[in-house]
Amino acid sequence: MAAKNHRQWLAEPNLKRSEWVDSRIYSDQEIFEEELANIFKKTWIPVCHESELPKAYDFRTVSIAREPVIVARGPDNEIRAFLNVCPHRGMIIERRPSGSFLEGSPSGNPKRMTCMFHAWQYDMRGNCVYISREKEGYQERLCKEDVGLRRLRCEVKFGGFVWVNLDDSPKVSLEDWAGPAFECLRKSLEAEPLEVFHYHKAIVNANYKLWHDTNCEFYHDFMHYHNRVTGFNDAYFARKNEAFDHGHVVVGTFEVNYDKYEGFESRAALSFPHLPPNQWYMIDLFPGMNFNLRGSAFRCDIVTPLAPDKVMIEYRGLGLKRDTAEERRTRINHHNSIWGPFGRNLHEDLIGVQGQGTTMAPGAEPRRILQGRHEDQTIHDENGMRHYYKEWGRWMNRTPSEPESPFVEQVSVAAE
Amino acid sequence: MDASALVRDTIYRSTILLDQQRWEEWLAHCDDRFEYAIRAFSPEINKDVTYLALDRDGLASLLKLLPKHNTDHSPLSRHTSVYTVDVDEAAKSAKAVSSVIVYQTLLDGINSHVDAGESRLFIVGKYLDTLKIEDDKAKFLSREVRIENRRLDKGSHWPI
Repeated sequence: MAAKNHRQWLAEPNLKRSEWVDSRIYSDQEIFEEELANIFKKTWIPVCHESELPKAYDFRTVSIAREPVIVARGPDNEIRAFLNVCPHRGMIIERRPSGSFLEGSPSGNPKRMTCMFHAWQYDMRGNCVYISREKEGYQERLCKEDVGLRRLRCEVKFGGFVWVNLDDSPKVSLEDWAGPAFECLRKSLEAEPLEVFHYHKAIVNANYKLWHDTNCEFYHDFMHYHNRVTGFNDAYFARKNEAFDHGHVVVGTFEVNYDKYEGFESRAALSFPHLPPNQWYMIDLFPGMNFNLRGSAFRCDIVTPLAPDKVMIEYRGLGLKRDTAEERRTRINHHNSIWGPFGRNLHEDLIGVQGQGTTMAPGAEPRRILQGRHEDQTIHDENGMRHYYKEWGRWMNRTPSEPESPFVEQVSVAAE
Repeated sequence: MDASALVRDTIYRSTILLDQQRWEEWLAHCDDRFEYAIRAFSPEINKDVTYLALDRDGLASLLKLLPKHNTDHSPLSRHTSVYTVDVDEAAKSAKAVSSVIVYQTLLDGINSHVDAGESRLFIVGKYLDTLKIEDDKAKFLSREVRIENRRLDKGSHWPI
């Protein structure tokens, strides 16, 4: 059919309602606020990797759904998470992205988290251990024991990632939440300690789900020259998208022919433990985290939604902690050649998602965003996104294709 | 031209070639042993990070394949100031430290109707160069682009 007039453009396509979403879910402020409250404040979020705080008293600061979070390793080697907020006057306690509490700060003592504002101090378990002029100001009305930090649920799991949940009573344990999805890579990621070697961030004007969609569908490989020449073969098109409970999706593996791209080499010699040469698994976790193992290099994307049309994506690359210097250099090159900020694919992915963000700015005319491809749940099937949005509907009690309507659980379709 | 001036001249001319995307001519200023890297220190993970590291052949392949890739074509303008040049006359080489600020003038990266024509700060960093000096010519042996940014948004397909 030729180009359409407005009425034709708005007409429903010959697809089921579960095969598209309304673009308002990518741009509406009210929906965004509900997502922060209903999803991001209630699910397990990987905030960093344990190798980012390798020694006792090391810390990292992050945020989840606008709440500042501090993760610190105690003298007992346990990693704990707290709100990075002083209970006195609401000052952010630690302003640096990372560091060590072994040294004192201008306002406080060594081995303490100190709020610089009024010098209240906390130990690595979040106990308040010092209030400046405590008795003079509070007499017997308030004491250190009354004002500890807000502790958060925190676990180190699935290859050493630090997971935090703002909800004291999560619906499911972290193991039940993500364990089945991680099963395909568990042996590889847990055979020995991993170490982060790469970090950079992107802030793009697009909704966080659009980035996750890109990670969930491989149909966009037509955009990537690299993936076309190194991948498009029978084994590639047979890769399965497997749906797991809680909205997660795993993209099955196949052998990538890296040497088909000029200047690239096989990654077989540096494959992760228990991973056959040049294989490639990908795990997409609801609500927007991605774990991607391409043979020798492991990548993790963590999204932090900033606004309906703005997301920060943090990119990490990981190798084996025991890598020799030469192995690490090679691993880093493998990672960067495709996924670095100057690599071949990440730039293209970000142009794509930025382009979607441009057409779905808040206030733009709502439109249907299709996810109706069915190819026996293989690589270009869009079942991964359909699975994700079914879960999204449950958490939000909104129908993704009609977000003003409550979510209605449909009987599962066999192909899903 | 003395060796120090020759090094400065080579760095400035190469800046113009990079800005104008005259990749082949830029590579002609690089020795066969040339090593190129973009690196930063990340206070987030408390480590040096390498964002790109290629030898001359690797760079040549990368540049040759650019037309095969989808790219943000917003041009980059490098403002380079050579701070120091230390010539080792015995070794016929020199080390130079330059400040480099890279602006991106938007073209097709976001919404061209609104954003095209706007210049944004893209990279803050330094060029750490080693050059060999022979027959009144200076050629790059290595370049490390030492950047401060870890927020790189869409990044780039091009050498900096």
